[in-house]
Amino acid sequence: MRLGSLRYLIKEGFRNIWQNRFMAIASVGVLVSCLLLTGGAYMVFVNIDHMFDWVYGQNVVVAFAQPDATEEQTTALFAKLEALPNVESVDFISKEESLEKYKDSIPEATYEDMQGENNPMPDSFVVTFDDLTQFDDTVAQIQQIPEVEDVSYNADIASTLTNVRHIILVVGGWIIVMLLLVSLFIIANTIKLTVYNRRLEISIMKSVGATNAFVRIPFIIEGMVLGLVSAGVAYGILYFIYTKLSEMFHFGAMIRGLADFGEVWWIVLVGFLAIGILTGVTGSAISMRKYLKEEGGTAGVL
Amino acid sequence: MIEFKGVYKTYDSGIKALKDVNIHIDKGEFVFIVGASGAGKSTFLKLMMREEVPSAGEVIINDYKLSKLKRRQIPYLRRTMGIVFQDFRLINHMTVYDNVAFAMRVTGASNRDVRKRVPYILGLVGLQNKARSYPKELSGGEQQRVGLARALVNNPSMIIADEPTGNIDPELSYEIVELLTEINRRGTTVVMVTHEHDLVRMFHRRVIEISDGCVVSDTGVIPPEEEESAAPSLTVDDVLSDIGMSHSGREGGRL
Repeated sequence: MRLGSLRYLIKEGFRNIWQNRFMAIASVGVLVSCLLLTGGAYMVFVNIDHMFDWVYGQNVVVAFAQPDATEEQTTALFAKLEALPNVESVDFISKEESLEKYKDSIPEATYEDMQGENNPMPDSFVVTFDDLTQFDDTVAQIQQIPEVEDVSYNADIASTLTNVRHIILVVGGWIIVMLLLVSLFIIANTIKLTVYNRRLEISIMKSVGATNAFVRIPFIIEGMVLGLVSAGVAYGILYFIYTKLSEMFHFGAMIRGLADFGEVWWIVLVGFLAIGILTGVTGSAISMRKYLKEEGGTAGVL
Repeated sequence: MIEFKGVYKTYDSGIKALKDVNIHIDKGEFVFIVGASGAGKSTFLKLMMREEVPSAGEVIINDYKLSKLKRRQIPYLRRTMGIVFQDFRLINHMTVYDNVAFAMRVTGASNRDVRKRVPYILGLVGLQNKARSYPKELSGGEQQRVGLARALVNNPSMIIADEPTGNIDPELSYEIVELLTEINRRGTTVVMVTHEHDLVRMFHRRVIEISDGCVVSDTGVIPPEEEESAAPSLTVDDVLSDIGMSHSGREGGRL
């Protein structure tokens, strides 16, 4: 196709939007609503995930060194723990620190005979994991380190959380897929209406020898532009609402608020653009198929 | 060139629209196809445009064997013919100029060619001053001339007119047929479907009558001398000046 023709067809696409501006506004409205529902569902999911991250952070494993470990052995153990593949962070807590903590929690007891050499507390390490689905494997690996005497952990919480998160991921994913299908259906129908209104035009085009591509391109352009505009509008609205909500749920640094929009903005934007353009273009294509199959010319119109 | 060889057309509904139709129309002919409504005229047109395919037999249009034509070649077949409709089929939100221009754009014509060709064709049908008007602002006769300009703009080798005078006043009908005659004089094949027998009698041309799906009479090609002597008293110049065009300086009739 010539460049001039393409330019003409793109211009036609924009002219079509203007010609059917009320229908265009309706389409954008519908698509924006669907994108907002999808985006909202996604943000809820992000926040649940965000909360889980936090809960996971609380779920730590403590590895105790052998009570008679030398300083060298303790240092070596620290390095070995850090070297494990699934370990996110390792915090060293010396036997003195442990004793202090213990004193704080039970101040009534006497601790004179526990100082120095007689300290019954072992050196310990607070270990957090990257991926809790591999919790059991990593704990087993820690237990196999010879310098470790014992490991304290709560496996049940980890596996429960992992299961719940998995369920939410699947359910959330399906909800988003359903919403997308609904959007596609609505957009296809809206465009079908505009195509219906332009049946005469399409049949005239075909009778003077327009190829299917020539008839289709302006509609595809139209779908694409409507998709782009909807994505932009939906992104703006979601950003605005989410920022307001974040401010409302912000209670200072200590209490956890909503997930930071800044961490997911590009996923939301790219997702919206992709969904918008895809539903616009697919909607156009679906709704045009029937009319392109009709052989045009004198058929059926008026 | 139009050729129907033993063409049958039976629709899914069981209606036998055409029965063993054999027609040969040479390049440059002017033919009226007449018949009552329901006789099979529109099926005849639809087969020519490859909007329908025959149940049996072969249709050949401008060297295209329609039974062998692939779906994606249909647009190219249609570009070899200009089609004029009874209901004009103009796009109401486009100006006269754009209505004609878009038939050219469909073929991928460049902007430069469109700008050169469209005013020329509008001049040919006497609408040079109406280029910026919208179809709704024109009379029926003028609208049909826009339709004619659109059919002509791609310089087709044949014009197919489906009851082109069906929706306009009788006196203007005459003018439209005169225009078609003039186009035919320049070598374009013209096939006009009509049921207006008065109009057909006025122009002494080949007439093919279809009735109940069969060709019931065909006057055959009218020899040029006879055509000359039988022609109405009006000359081309008269007609063209009638519709606001001067024919001077265009002797020989080739534009």
